[in-house]
Amino acid sequence: MRRVIKAVAVATAATLGLAGCGSDSGSGDGGSTELELLVPIYGDKTKPYWEDLVEKFEAENDGITVKLETQSWDDIYTVLDTKIQNNKAPDILELDAAGPAYGAEDLLYKAEEIVSPETLEDIEPSFIDSAKIDGVAYGLPTVASTRALFYNKDLFDRAGVTAPPKTWDELLAAAKKISALGGGVYGYGMPLGSEEAQAETSIFAYGAGASWEADGKMTIDTPEAKEALTFMKQMIDQRVTQPDPGATDRTPLLDVFIQGKIGMIQGLPPIVGQINEKNPQLNWEIAPSPTKDGSPSTLGVADYFVGFDKGEEKQEAIAKFLDFFYQKDNYVTFNDNEGFIPATKSGAEAAAAKPELKTFLESLPDAKFYPATNPAWAETSGAFKSLVGQIQTKPVDEVLAQIQAKAEETS
Amino acid sequence: MTAPSTATRSLKRRVRRQTTLQALPWLAPALILIGGVVVFPIGYMIYTSFRDLTRFGTDRGWAGLENYERVLELDHLSRVLSNTALWVVGVVALSVGLGLVLAQFLNKRFPGRKILRLVIIVPWAASVVMTSTVFVYGLDPFYGIINQFLVDVGILDTPYGFLKNALPGFLSAMAVAVFVSVPFTTFVFLAGLQTVPHDVLEAAQIDGASRVQTYWRVVFPMLRGALAVATIINVINVFNSLPILKTMTGAIPGYDADTTTSLMFKIIQNDRQIDTASALSVLNFIVVVVVIGVYLRVVRPMRED
Amino acid sequence: MSTVIDRPPTVTAVGGGVDRPPVHERRRWGLTVVGAVVATVFLAPYVIMLVGAFKTRPEILRVPPTYLPENWEPGNFLTMWDTPETPLPANLLSTVVISLGGTALALLAALPAAYYTARHNFRLKLPFMLLVLVTQMLQPTVLASGLFREFVTLEINDTWLAMILVNAAFNLSFAVWIMHSFFASVPKEIEEAAWLDGCSRSQSLRQIMLPLVWPGIVTAVIFTFIACWNEFAASLILLPTDTNQPLTVALTRFIGQYESAWQYVFAVSIIGILPVVALFALIEKHLVSGLTAGGVK
Repeated sequence: MRRVIKAVAVATAATLGLAGCGSDSGSGDGGSTELELLVPIYGDKTKPYWEDLVEKFEAENDGITVKLETQSWDDIYTVLDTKIQNNKAPDILELDAAGPAYGAEDLLYKAEEIVSPETLEDIEPSFIDSAKIDGVAYGLPTVASTRALFYNKDLFDRAGVTAPPKTWDELLAAAKKISALGGGVYGYGMPLGSEEAQAETSIFAYGAGASWEADGKMTIDTPEAKEALTFMKQMIDQRVTQPDPGATDRTPLLDVFIQGKIGMIQGLPPIVGQINEKNPQLNWEIAPSPTKDGSPSTLGVADYFVGFDKGEEKQEAIAKFLDFFYQKDNYVTFNDNEGFIPATKSGAEAAAAKPELKTFLESLPDAKFYPATNPAWAETSGAFKSLVGQIQTKPVDEVLAQIQAKAEETS
Repeated sequence: MTAPSTATRSLKRRVRRQTTLQALPWLAPALILIGGVVVFPIGYMIYTSFRDLTRFGTDRGWAGLENYERVLELDHLSRVLSNTALWVVGVVALSVGLGLVLAQFLNKRFPGRKILRLVIIVPWAASVVMTSTVFVYGLDPFYGIINQFLVDVGILDTPYGFLKNALPGFLSAMAVAVFVSVPFTTFVFLAGLQTVPHDVLEAAQIDGASRVQTYWRVVFPMLRGALAVATIINVINVFNSLPILKTMTGAIPGYDADTTTSLMFKIIQNDRQIDTASALSVLNFIVVVVVIGVYLRVVRPMRED
Repeated sequence: MSTVIDRPPTVTAVGGGVDRPPVHERRRWGLTVVGAVVATVFLAPYVIMLVGAFKTRPEILRVPPTYLPENWEPGNFLTMWDTPETPLPANLLSTVVISLGGTALALLAALPAAYYTARHNFRLKLPFMLLVLVTQMLQPTVLASGLFREFVTLEINDTWLAMILVNAAFNLSFAVWIMHSFFASVPKEIEEAAWLDGCSRSQSLRQIMLPLVWPGIVTAVIFTFIACWNEFAASLILLPTDTNQPLTVALTRFIGQYESAWQYVFAVSIIGILPVVALFALIEKHLVSGLTAGGVK
């Protein structure tokens, strides 16, 4: 049965160009199908993009309507939890790696069921693999990226730092020199506030060879992680970071970097656009994230589409929509808008032409992702957010043990 | 037991039942609205607190008292409870105190009084989230205008991270909570002052009572109803207030600046345990009921009945 | 010497009322100065908000900050009505409709209950007052899920009606309590005197009681209206369609993952405050007219 549906899906995908030929809708009764689409807001281009895409899609697909709902990243989890708790999950959801994790509860279609083989073929397998649950792929990557070190060249020159740091020792030395400039200038921006503390921590921990998961268990309190957190604490104690890193959120701190008051900070590609908009005079450059011994490693992130299986036979309509989204033009536009790296092979070619994405693309092979497929990761990530900032005042051992305990609490 | 007394009692009972029945048409609209809208979600929350939910929101069945046990075993619970007490008592007491003073002031005649009344309603009219957001923005050590101002006028040497550590962050949040509670409190008292009959005041004046004496002996007792309402509503609102703490101290690691309400939010958002959060909410609910119950017992605002 | 004692006796409420000769003119201007200080404190954050709304996107997060915008950008107040993020005119309309509807419904249900409980004793009075209060003691965040299930079942989620019902129901209790306390403070004798004069119950209610308890009703109206106006937790869950959403939810549409359009957030917040202040200005005089208005007997 499934094979038949898939064949139909492929055939339909192939005739996508011949719009408006009255193709039958996905539902068995031949009526119209309504797809609920829930997506997070990346920036001011997000909603117009989806509205436009939905309009074009509906024009080409009689009998399928798409109901778009956008939510801020702050609120989307609350909204989604409520919907799922009351059996009203959206048909298509875009979310971070927490999206594919719903597969563990048998709530999702498999990735191969909601997209044509051609589309699946075009997606970089590493992104799909990193989000597999028990060996099954549920998520289709929408945007991808790595973290890299943004640095302020003017501050580097003034402080006499000649090259971007590759190792922690070099990072500490460079941050020290820049902090010594004074005048409200700080060497390294370290955001350990609740907004995204798990990201900053992971960059350093991965840079020491740590892994948050082993044999299906969360491994937080490890010698490698301890080494990383101890180094971070050292930076805090030697006052080469901005004041009070434990309670500094990422977004406001990035603005301080953009305003030229911070020497170095880890960031994502969308920051390039922000610098151009808010402070184009800033003399900045990007380098790979420094690691303990200089060997390349950083944090990789990707967001995903998943399709909820509510037993309503909307699978074919979902596939039509997602195939439409992954068409090269539509997909590249989406990533261009949001400033991320496309996760498809055809999209990556387009991205390679952009110089500002070069460092990020190059670091992709060495990037390590969150163990988001482990059911305990959501709680662990939450524990990082609410607890790791305490290293500013408490011993590293104590903080790590606390987070480890939270990670094991998963019921 | 003699026959007449039984008869009297049953008559009394009948009268009372009758008046309760008579009351029904007057109370019905309120009861229908409450029964139709509020009862279900409250029941649903209590139900959830006894269920075992996965972090995805799917129900794995009966959990007995497990969720409640998990709440009571939280090792930071005592700190959070003392924070909550400080939060509720501090914010409500300051709001009521300032509200009384401000209401008295606004009740005087002076040029610009009308404008001042309009001005004072602004923090009440503005959404609490936005007010807190402006304070977060203004108190930021880098781009915060309030911090910059304090440095420029010489109160601070360098910008201070008001919201970067638990104690100053919590106190700042309390100050904002008072700031947004004062307007409502003031207007309840101001409205209350209008019901103080002037002849009573005159009588006091003729008796030669001083202004302070008049206030405490004549005016204040007549504000009893307004005081009770202002206190009860403030206690409930302040206890359940989430946006201020979420916005202002949410970035601070650990639980040193949390009340039970913001802890509940962290359990939902970070620990992804809707069931535990529901249990904490039910406990929260019981605490508020007890606090209000004790208050009503002691103050007896409906004493005239 | 205190003003209260010096003051010639007048037939007004405390300190308010008819004009008096300017005996304490200087003292009154002194009060104005104190008032100005109080006003500054209460307005300061909103001035920051207002000034921020006039800044350009790059300037709003400048380090160190600018007190006043280098380039005044009044355009934010114009362009925000037509942004891709949210249909703001529709959001404003939603807020107005939901708030007016919610306030009206809450008042309709609360008035009779508050009046009756203030005037009559019956066995279940205290339980009723407590029941009403209890409905207000829960954090809305945890109730949103149950509300969602309820309104999905009733098939009225994603409608204004749903939010009108929610707002009315959840603000009913404070409205009852506020008005109850004012009704109870009016001596029964006044009303009884009216009955003796041959007024019917509804007449006495309308002509005698209502003017007397205006301040209480107005306080309850303002309280309920503002609570409806700023409701967020339930609207977020119950109203997925952008044109149905109130301003509070619309605001979050300007919050991006890595950067937010603060100039719009501030401008929309300012716009959100103004109607409430305007409404208050309209009915403010009823708040203080109390006993003077009710020329009883």
